Amino acid sequence: MSNDTSQNGPLEKVIELRLPSKLGYERVAMDTASSLAKRMGFQDDRIDSLKTAVSEAVTNAIEHGNQHDSAMKVVVLLTARDDELIVSVADQGRKPLSQNCTTKIPHLEEIMEQPDKGGWGIWLIRELMDEVEFTTAPSGGNQVRMVIHLER
Amino acid sequence: MNINTTLIASMDISFPSELGYEIIVRDAVESFAHRHGFAPERLEDLRTSLCEACINAIEHGNQCVAHMRVDVRCQYDRKQFQIEIQDQGIRPFSPPERPYSIAEKLAGVGTLRGMGLQIIAHLTDESGFLENDERGNCFRMVFYCDLDRTSRY
Amino acid sequence: MLEDELTVNTRQREGVAIIDLIGDVTTFAEEKINTAYQEVTNQGSRLVLLNFRQNDYINSAGIAILIGIVTEVNRNSQKLAVSGLSQHFQKIFRMVGLAQYADIYQDEDEAIQGFKSITTT
Repeated sequence: MSNDTSQNGPLEKVIELRLPSKLGYERVAMDTASSLAKRMGFQDDRIDSLKTAVSEAVTNAIEHGNQHDSAMKVVVLLTARDDELIVSVADQGRKPLSQNCTTKIPHLEEIMEQPDKGGWGIWLIRELMDEVEFTTAPSGGNQVRMVIHLER
Repeated sequence: MNINTTLIASMDISFPSELGYEIIVRDAVESFAHRHGFAPERLEDLRTSLCEACINAIEHGNQCVAHMRVDVRCQYDRKQFQIEIQDQGIRPFSPPERPYSIAEKLAGVGTLRGMGLQIIAHLTDESGFLENDERGNCFRMVFYCDLDRTSRY
Repeated sequence: MLEDELTVNTRQREGVAIIDLIGDVTTFAEEKINTAYQEVTNQGSRLVLLNFRQNDYINSAGIAILIGIVTEVNRNSQKLAVSGLSQHFQKIFRMVGLAQYADIYQDEDEAIQGFKSITTT
Protein backbone atom coordinates (compact mmCIF):
# COMPACT_ATOMS: atom_id res chain seq x y z
CA MET A 1 0.00 0.00 0.00
CA SER A 2 1.11 3.49 -0.68
CA ASN A 3 2.09 5.65 2.25
CA ASP A 4 1.20 8.65 0.21
CA THR A 5 -2.01 9.48 2.01
CA SER A 6 -2.89 12.49 4.09
CA GLN A 7 -4.56 12.42 7.47
CA ASN A 8 -7.83 12.92 5.66
CA GLY A 9 -7.59 9.58 3.93
CA PRO A 10 -6.61 8.89 0.35
CA LEU A 11 -5.68 11.98 -1.57
CA GLU A 12 -8.33 13.18 -3.91
CA LYS A 13 -7.72 15.01 -7.09
CA VAL A 14 -9.65 18.21 -6.83
CA ILE A 15 -9.85 21.17 -9.17
CA GLU A 16 -10.68 24.35 -7.28
CA LEU A 17 -12.17 27.29 -9.12
CA ARG A 18 -12.67 30.67 -7.42
CA LEU A 19 -14.98 33.02 -9.28
CA PRO A 20 -16.22 36.57 -8.68
CA SER A 21 -19.88 36.89 -7.65
CA LYS A 22 -21.10 38.38 -10.87
CA LEU A 23 -23.69 36.89 -13.19
CA GLY A 24 -22.02 35.51 -16.29
CA TYR A 25 -19.22 33.73 -14.41
CA GLU A 26 -21.46 30.71 -13.99
CA ARG A 27 -20.56 30.06 -17.64
CA VAL A 28 -16.92 29.56 -16.66
CA ALA A 29 -17.96 26.96 -14.07
CA MET A 30 -20.22 25.24 -16.62
CA ASP A 31 -17.45 25.10 -19.23
CA THR A 32 -14.93 23.77 -16.71
CA ALA A 33 -17.28 21.06 -15.40
CA SER A 34 -18.20 20.15 -18.96
CA SER A 35 -14.56 19.84 -20.00
CA LEU A 36 -13.81 17.53 -17.07
CA ALA A 37 -16.96 15.43 -17.59
CA LYS A 38 -16.16 15.00 -21.27
CA ARG A 39 -12.69 13.71 -20.44
CA MET A 40 -14.16 11.35 -17.85
CA GLY A 41 -16.36 9.82 -20.55
CA PHE A 42 -19.82 11.15 -19.69
CA GLN A 43 -22.44 11.05 -22.47
CA ASP A 44 -23.48 14.35 -24.03
CA ASP A 45 -26.97 14.39 -22.50
CA ARG A 46 -25.50 13.84 -19.02
CA ILE A 47 -23.04 16.68 -19.61
CA ASP A 48 -25.97 18.94 -20.57
CA SER A 49 -27.69 18.05 -17.30
CA LEU A 50 -24.48 18.70 -15.35
CA LYS A 51 -24.05 22.09 -17.02
CA THR A 52 -27.58 23.16 -16.12
CA ALA A 53 -27.17 21.99 -12.51
CA VAL A 54 -23.81 23.78 -12.16
CA SER A 55 -25.22 26.96 -13.67
CA GLU A 56 -28.14 26.96 -11.23
CA ALA A 57 -25.90 26.30 -8.21
CA VAL A 58 -23.41 29.02 -9.13
CA THR A 59 -26.17 31.49 -10.03
CA ASN A 60 -27.80 30.87 -6.63
CA ALA A 61 -24.45 31.45 -4.91
CA ILE A 62 -23.95 34.73 -6.79
CA GLU A 63 -27.48 36.06 -6.43
CA HIS A 64 -28.56 34.81 -3.02
CA GLY A 65 -25.61 33.69 -0.92
CA ASN A 66 -23.28 36.49 -1.95
CA GLN A 67 -25.98 39.02 -2.84
CA HIS A 68 -24.24 40.06 -6.10
CA ASP A 69 -21.20 41.40 -4.18
CA SER A 70 -18.55 40.81 -6.86
CA ALA A 71 -15.76 41.02 -4.29
CA MET A 72 -17.13 37.85 -2.73
CA LYS A 73 -16.03 34.57 -4.20
CA VAL A 74 -17.90 31.52 -5.33
CA VAL A 75 -15.78 28.42 -4.83
CA VAL A 76 -16.40 25.44 -7.09
CA LEU A 77 -14.68 22.15 -6.29
CA LEU A 78 -14.62 19.45 -8.95
CA THR A 79 -13.56 15.97 -7.88
CA ALA A 80 -13.17 13.28 -10.51
CA ARG A 81 -13.48 9.74 -9.20
CA ASP A 82 -13.47 6.54 -11.25
CA ASP A 83 -17.24 6.23 -11.23
CA GLU A 84 -18.55 9.70 -10.42
CA LEU A 85 -17.98 13.41 -10.59
CA ILE A 86 -18.59 15.46 -7.46
CA VAL A 87 -19.22 19.18 -7.79
CA SER A 88 -19.41 21.34 -4.72
CA VAL A 89 -20.40 25.00 -4.93
CA ALA A 90 -19.95 27.28 -1.91
CA ASP A 91 -20.71 30.94 -1.33
CA GLN A 92 -19.74 33.26 1.51
CA GLY A 93 -23.20 33.10 2.98
CA ARG A 94 -24.27 36.68 3.30
CA LYS A 95 -27.77 35.25 3.12
CA PRO A 96 -28.37 31.66 4.29
CA LEU A 97 -30.69 29.40 2.31
CA SER A 98 -33.85 28.41 4.13
CA GLN A 99 -34.68 24.73 4.50
CA ASN A 100 -37.96 25.42 2.74
CA CYS A 101 -36.35 26.66 -0.45
CA THR A 102 -34.01 23.68 -0.70
CA THR A 103 -36.87 21.18 -0.63
CA LYS A 104 -39.74 23.03 -2.31
CA ILE A 105 -41.31 21.50 -5.43
CA PRO A 106 -42.62 24.26 -7.70
CA HIS A 107 -45.88 23.83 -9.63
CA LEU A 108 -46.28 25.65 -12.91
CA GLU A 109 -49.99 26.43 -12.47
CA GLU A 110 -49.35 28.09 -9.10
CA ILE A 111 -46.30 29.95 -10.33
CA MET A 112 -48.21 31.32 -13.32
CA GLU A 113 -50.52 33.06 -10.83
CA GLN A 114 -47.62 34.70 -9.00
CA PRO A 115 -45.75 37.85 -10.04
CA ASP A 116 -42.39 36.08 -9.56
CA LYS A 117 -42.15 33.22 -12.03
CA GLY A 118 -38.81 31.98 -10.72
CA GLY A 119 -37.82 29.45 -8.07
CA TRP A 120 -36.95 26.55 -10.37
CA GLY A 121 -33.19 26.41 -9.80
CA ILE A 122 -32.84 24.11 -6.80
CA TRP A 123 -35.60 21.83 -8.02
CA LEU A 124 -33.84 21.52 -11.38
CA ILE A 125 -30.58 20.59 -9.62
CA ARG A 126 -32.37 17.85 -7.68
CA GLU A 127 -34.06 16.53 -10.82
CA LEU A 128 -30.89 16.47 -12.91
CA MET A 129 -28.20 15.19 -10.49
CA ASP A 130 -27.94 11.74 -8.88
CA GLU A 131 -27.17 12.99 -5.36
CA VAL A 132 -27.72 16.48 -3.95
CA GLU A 133 -26.96 17.73 -0.47
CA PHE A 134 -27.20 21.21 1.02
CA THR A 135 -24.78 21.92 3.84
CA THR A 136 -22.79 24.74 5.40
CA ALA A 137 -19.40 25.41 3.84
CA PRO A 138 -16.23 25.51 5.98
CA SER A 139 -16.28 29.26 5.30
CA GLY A 140 -19.71 29.47 6.89
CA GLY A 141 -21.55 30.02 3.61
CA ASN A 142 -24.07 27.88 1.82
CA GLN A 143 -22.76 24.80 0.07
CA VAL A 144 -24.38 22.43 -2.33
CA ARG A 145 -22.72 19.12 -3.11
CA MET A 146 -23.87 17.40 -6.27
CA VAL A 147 -22.86 14.00 -7.59
CA ILE A 148 -23.34 12.62 -11.06
CA HIS A 149 -22.63 8.93 -11.64
CA LEU A 150 -20.68 7.68 -14.58
CA GLU A 151 -22.54 4.77 -16.18
CA ARG A 152 -20.30 2.68 -18.35
CA MET B 1 -4.83 45.00 -3.64
CA ASN B 2 -4.49 46.43 -7.16
CA ILE B 3 -5.52 49.89 -6.00
CA ASN B 4 -3.61 51.57 -8.80
CA THR B 5 -4.85 49.40 -11.61
CA THR B 6 -8.21 49.01 -13.23
CA LEU B 7 -8.60 45.32 -12.60
CA ILE B 8 -11.89 44.26 -14.09
CA ALA B 9 -11.92 40.62 -13.23
CA SER B 10 -9.88 37.93 -11.62
CA MET B 11 -10.29 34.19 -11.41
CA ASP B 12 -8.23 31.52 -9.68
CA ILE B 13 -8.02 27.87 -10.50
CA SER B 14 -5.91 25.29 -8.73
CA PHE B 15 -5.30 21.68 -9.74
CA PRO B 16 -3.23 18.58 -8.92
CA SER B 17 0.07 17.93 -10.66
CA GLU B 18 -1.13 15.28 -13.02
CA LEU B 19 -0.90 15.49 -16.79
CA GLY B 20 -4.33 15.87 -18.37
CA TYR B 21 -5.57 18.49 -15.92
CA GLU B 22 -3.99 21.21 -18.05
CA ILE B 23 -6.73 20.56 -20.62
CA ILE B 24 -9.47 21.34 -18.07
CA VAL B 25 -7.61 24.46 -16.94
CA ARG B 26 -7.18 25.52 -20.55
CA ASP B 27 -10.95 25.25 -21.13
CA ALA B 28 -11.70 27.18 -17.92
CA VAL B 29 -9.34 30.02 -18.80
CA GLU B 30 -10.57 30.08 -22.38
CA SER B 31 -14.12 30.49 -21.11
CA PHE B 32 -13.03 33.36 -18.84
CA ALA B 33 -11.09 35.05 -21.65
CA HIS B 34 -13.86 34.57 -24.19
CA ARG B 35 -16.39 36.17 -21.88
CA HIS B 36 -14.16 39.21 -21.53
CA GLY B 37 -13.85 39.69 -25.25
CA PHE B 38 -10.51 38.01 -25.85
CA ALA B 39 -9.80 38.17 -29.58
CA PRO B 40 -11.14 34.88 -31.02
CA GLU B 41 -8.29 34.70 -33.54
CA ARG B 42 -5.80 34.60 -30.67
CA LEU B 43 -7.60 32.00 -28.57
CA GLU B 44 -5.45 29.23 -30.03
CA ASP B 45 -2.32 31.13 -28.94
CA LEU B 46 -3.74 31.35 -25.42
CA ARG B 47 -4.73 27.68 -25.34
CA THR B 48 -1.36 26.42 -26.53
CA SER B 49 0.79 28.64 -24.33
CA LEU B 50 -1.30 27.98 -21.23
CA CYS B 51 -1.03 24.22 -21.71
CA GLU B 52 2.74 24.45 -22.17
CA ALA B 53 3.10 26.54 -19.01
CA CYS B 54 0.92 24.18 -16.98
CA ILE B 55 2.84 21.14 -18.23
CA ASN B 56 6.09 22.83 -17.18
CA ALA B 57 4.66 23.42 -13.70
CA ILE B 58 3.43 19.83 -13.42
CA GLU B 59 6.49 18.09 -14.84
CA HIS B 60 9.34 20.31 -13.74
CA GLY B 61 8.27 22.51 -10.84
CA ASN B 62 6.21 19.84 -9.09
CA GLN B 63 7.97 16.80 -10.57
CA CYS B 64 4.61 15.11 -11.29
CA VAL B 65 3.93 14.64 -7.54
CA ALA B 66 0.15 14.52 -7.84
CA HIS B 67 -0.77 16.12 -4.51
CA MET B 68 1.40 19.16 -5.20
CA ARG B 69 -0.79 21.96 -6.47
CA VAL B 70 -0.52 24.26 -9.44
CA ASP B 71 -2.29 27.61 -8.96
CA VAL B 72 -3.37 29.64 -11.96
CA ARG B 73 -4.54 33.23 -11.59
CA CYS B 74 -6.14 35.07 -14.52
CA GLN B 75 -6.57 38.81 -14.46
CA TYR B 76 -8.12 41.12 -17.01
CA ASP B 77 -7.93 44.92 -16.90
CA ARG B 78 -9.13 46.00 -20.37
CA LYS B 79 -5.56 46.49 -21.59
CA GLN B 80 -4.36 42.97 -21.11
CA PHE B 81 -4.97 39.45 -19.94
CA GLN B 82 -2.37 38.28 -17.49
CA ILE B 83 -2.04 34.68 -16.40
CA GLU B 84 0.27 33.53 -13.61
CA ILE B 85 1.08 29.88 -13.15
CA GLN B 86 2.49 29.06 -9.74
CA ASP B 87 3.99 25.72 -8.81
CA GLN B 88 5.38 24.51 -5.49
CA GLY B 89 8.90 24.46 -6.84
CA ILE B 90 10.33 21.11 -5.84
CA ARG B 91 12.75 21.86 -8.60
CA PRO B 92 13.50 25.56 -9.09
CA PHE B 93 13.58 26.70 -12.67
CA SER B 94 17.04 27.08 -14.14
CA PRO B 95 17.14 28.40 -17.66
CA PRO B 96 19.47 26.78 -20.17
CA GLU B 97 22.44 28.89 -21.15
CA ARG B 98 20.89 29.16 -24.55
CA PRO B 99 17.96 27.30 -26.07
CA TYR B 100 18.79 24.74 -28.69
CA SER B 101 17.43 25.39 -32.16
CA ILE B 102 15.16 22.91 -33.83
CA ALA B 103 18.02 22.04 -36.22
CA GLU B 104 20.28 21.22 -33.28
CA LYS B 105 17.57 19.17 -31.61
CA LEU B 106 16.97 17.20 -34.80
CA ALA B 107 20.72 16.65 -35.04
CA GLY B 108 20.57 15.05 -31.61
CA VAL B 109 22.01 17.94 -29.61
CA GLY B 110 20.05 18.42 -26.41
CA THR B 111 16.68 16.91 -25.66
CA LEU B 112 13.69 16.97 -27.96
CA ARG B 113 11.70 18.40 -25.07
CA GLY B 114 12.15 21.84 -23.67
CA MET B 115 10.47 23.65 -26.53
CA GLY B 116 7.65 24.86 -24.27
CA LEU B 117 9.17 28.18 -23.24
CA GLN B 118 10.18 29.00 -26.78
CA ILE B 119 6.68 28.33 -28.04
CA ILE B 120 5.17 30.44 -25.26
CA ALA B 121 7.54 33.31 -26.02
CA HIS B 122 6.36 33.31 -29.64
CA LEU B 123 2.66 33.16 -28.86
CA THR B 124 2.40 35.68 -26.02
CA ASP B 125 3.17 39.41 -25.77
CA GLU B 126 5.18 39.01 -22.56
CA SER B 127 6.31 35.91 -20.73
CA GLY B 128 8.83 34.85 -18.15
CA PHE B 129 9.44 33.62 -14.63
CA LEU B 130 8.90 36.11 -11.84
CA GLU B 131 11.57 36.60 -9.22
CA ASN B 132 11.46 33.43 -7.19
CA ASP B 133 9.62 33.54 -3.93
CA GLU B 134 9.30 30.97 -1.20
CA ARG B 135 6.24 29.41 -2.73
CA GLY B 136 7.99 28.04 -5.80
CA ASN B 137 8.19 29.06 -9.45
CA CYS B 138 5.79 31.60 -10.81
CA PHE B 139 5.53 31.94 -14.57
CA ARG B 140 3.71 34.97 -15.96
CA MET B 141 2.34 35.49 -19.43
CA VAL B 142 0.50 38.43 -20.90
CA PHE B 143 -1.70 38.99 -23.94
CA TYR B 144 -2.34 42.60 -24.95
CA CYS B 145 -5.89 43.51 -25.93
CA ASP B 146 -5.31 46.64 -27.96
CA LEU B 147 -3.07 45.35 -30.69
CA ASP B 148 -4.42 45.73 -34.17
CA ARG B 149 -3.41 42.35 -35.34
CA THR B 150 -4.41 38.78 -35.27
CA SER B 151 -2.20 35.89 -34.28
CA ARG B 152 1.47 36.63 -34.70
CA TYR B 153 1.83 33.43 -36.69
CA MET C 1 -18.26 40.59 -18.85
CA LEU C 2 -20.20 40.19 -22.06
CA GLU C 3 -23.81 40.03 -21.00
CA ASP C 4 -25.52 40.84 -24.23
CA GLU C 5 -25.50 37.42 -25.77
CA LEU C 6 -29.04 37.22 -27.08
CA THR C 7 -30.31 38.59 -30.38
CA VAL C 8 -34.08 38.81 -30.77
CA ASN C 9 -35.81 39.34 -34.15
CA THR C 10 -39.47 39.30 -35.04
CA ARG C 11 -40.99 38.42 -38.42
CA GLN C 12 -44.17 37.03 -39.97
CA ARG C 13 -44.49 33.81 -41.93
CA GLU C 14 -47.73 32.31 -43.19
CA GLY C 15 -49.81 33.99 -40.52
CA VAL C 16 -47.44 33.09 -37.69
CA ALA C 17 -45.50 35.71 -35.74
CA ILE C 18 -42.01 34.30 -35.29
CA ILE C 19 -39.75 35.54 -32.51
CA ASP C 20 -36.21 34.37 -33.19
CA LEU C 21 -34.16 33.95 -30.01
CA ILE C 22 -30.52 33.61 -31.02
CA GLY C 23 -28.15 33.04 -28.11
CA ASP C 24 -28.52 32.66 -24.35
CA VAL C 25 -31.80 32.97 -22.51
CA THR C 26 -30.96 34.16 -19.01
CA THR C 27 -32.00 36.99 -16.72
CA PHE C 28 -30.45 39.47 -19.18
CA ALA C 29 -32.95 38.42 -21.87
CA GLU C 30 -36.07 39.65 -20.09
CA GLU C 31 -36.52 43.04 -21.68
CA LYS C 32 -35.73 41.89 -25.22
CA ILE C 33 -38.11 38.95 -25.10
CA ASN C 34 -40.95 40.88 -23.49
CA THR C 35 -40.55 43.74 -25.98
CA ALA C 36 -40.63 41.36 -28.93
CA TYR C 37 -43.70 39.59 -27.58
CA GLN C 38 -45.45 42.92 -26.99
CA GLU C 39 -44.63 44.00 -30.53
CA VAL C 40 -46.17 40.95 -32.21
CA THR C 41 -49.15 41.09 -29.86
CA ASN C 42 -49.77 44.75 -30.69
CA GLN C 43 -49.74 43.75 -34.36
CA GLY C 44 -52.67 41.45 -33.57
CA SER C 45 -50.82 38.13 -33.96
CA ARG C 46 -52.81 35.15 -32.74
CA LEU C 47 -50.14 32.55 -33.44
CA VAL C 48 -46.75 33.04 -31.87
CA LEU C 49 -43.64 30.90 -32.38
CA LEU C 50 -40.56 31.21 -30.18
CA ASN C 51 -37.84 29.99 -32.52
CA PHE C 52 -34.68 29.15 -30.55
CA ARG C 53 -31.31 29.10 -32.29
CA GLN C 54 -27.74 28.65 -31.08
CA ASN C 55 -28.77 28.69 -27.47
CA ASP C 56 -26.67 26.34 -25.45
CA TYR C 57 -27.64 28.14 -22.28
CA ILE C 58 -31.14 28.60 -20.94
CA ASN C 59 -31.31 28.85 -17.16
CA SER C 60 -34.07 29.00 -14.58
CA ALA C 61 -34.22 32.80 -14.85
CA GLY C 62 -34.78 32.35 -18.60
CA ILE C 63 -37.48 29.77 -17.90
CA ALA C 64 -39.18 32.27 -15.59
CA ILE C 65 -39.26 34.81 -18.46
CA LEU C 66 -40.83 32.21 -20.76
CA ILE C 67 -43.45 31.33 -18.12
CA GLY C 68 -44.30 35.02 -18.10
CA ILE C 69 -44.87 34.85 -21.86
CA VAL C 70 -47.06 31.74 -21.47
CA THR C 71 -49.14 33.60 -18.87
CA GLU C 72 -49.63 36.51 -21.27
CA VAL C 73 -50.40 34.21 -24.20
CA ASN C 74 -53.18 32.58 -22.16
CA ARG C 75 -54.52 35.93 -21.09
CA ASN C 76 -54.54 37.20 -24.68
CA SER C 77 -56.02 33.94 -26.06
CA GLN C 78 -53.09 33.40 -28.40
CA LYS C 79 -51.52 30.12 -29.40
CA LEU C 80 -47.85 29.53 -28.57
CA ALA C 81 -45.32 27.04 -29.90
CA VAL C 82 -41.55 26.65 -29.58
CA SER C 83 -39.02 25.29 -32.05
CA GLY C 84 -35.29 24.75 -32.37
CA LEU C 85 -34.65 23.66 -28.78
CA SER C 86 -31.93 21.09 -28.14
CA GLN C 87 -33.00 17.72 -26.76
CA HIS C 88 -31.80 18.83 -23.32
CA PHE C 89 -33.91 21.96 -23.21
CA GLN C 90 -36.90 20.12 -24.68
CA LYS C 91 -36.56 17.79 -21.69
CA ILE C 92 -36.39 20.72 -19.28
CA PHE C 93 -39.45 22.34 -20.85
CA ARG C 94 -41.34 19.07 -20.30
CA MET C 95 -40.04 18.74 -16.72
CA VAL C 96 -41.20 22.23 -15.83
CA GLY C 97 -44.59 21.62 -17.47
CA LEU C 98 -44.27 24.20 -20.23
CA ALA C 99 -45.06 21.55 -22.85
CA GLN C 100 -48.71 21.65 -21.75
CA TYR C 101 -48.92 25.28 -22.82
CA ALA C 102 -46.72 25.36 -25.88
CA ASP C 103 -46.30 22.68 -28.55
CA ILE C 104 -42.66 21.74 -29.02
CA TYR C 105 -41.41 21.34 -32.60
CA GLN C 106 -37.99 20.39 -33.88
CA ASP C 107 -37.70 23.30 -36.30
CA GLU C 108 -39.50 26.28 -37.76
CA ASP C 109 -40.93 24.45 -40.79
CA GLU C 110 -42.44 21.76 -38.62
CA ALA C 111 -43.93 24.41 -36.33
CA ILE C 112 -45.54 26.25 -39.26
CA GLN C 113 -47.08 22.96 -40.44
CA GLY C 114 -48.24 22.30 -36.90
CA PHE C 115 -49.97 25.68 -36.67
CA LYS C 116 -51.63 25.06 -40.05
CA SER C 117 -53.06 21.74 -38.93
CA ILE C 118 -54.48 23.38 -35.79
CA THR C 119 -56.03 26.34 -37.59
CA THR C 120 -57.58 24.25 -40.38
CA THR C 121 -59.24 21.73 -38.08
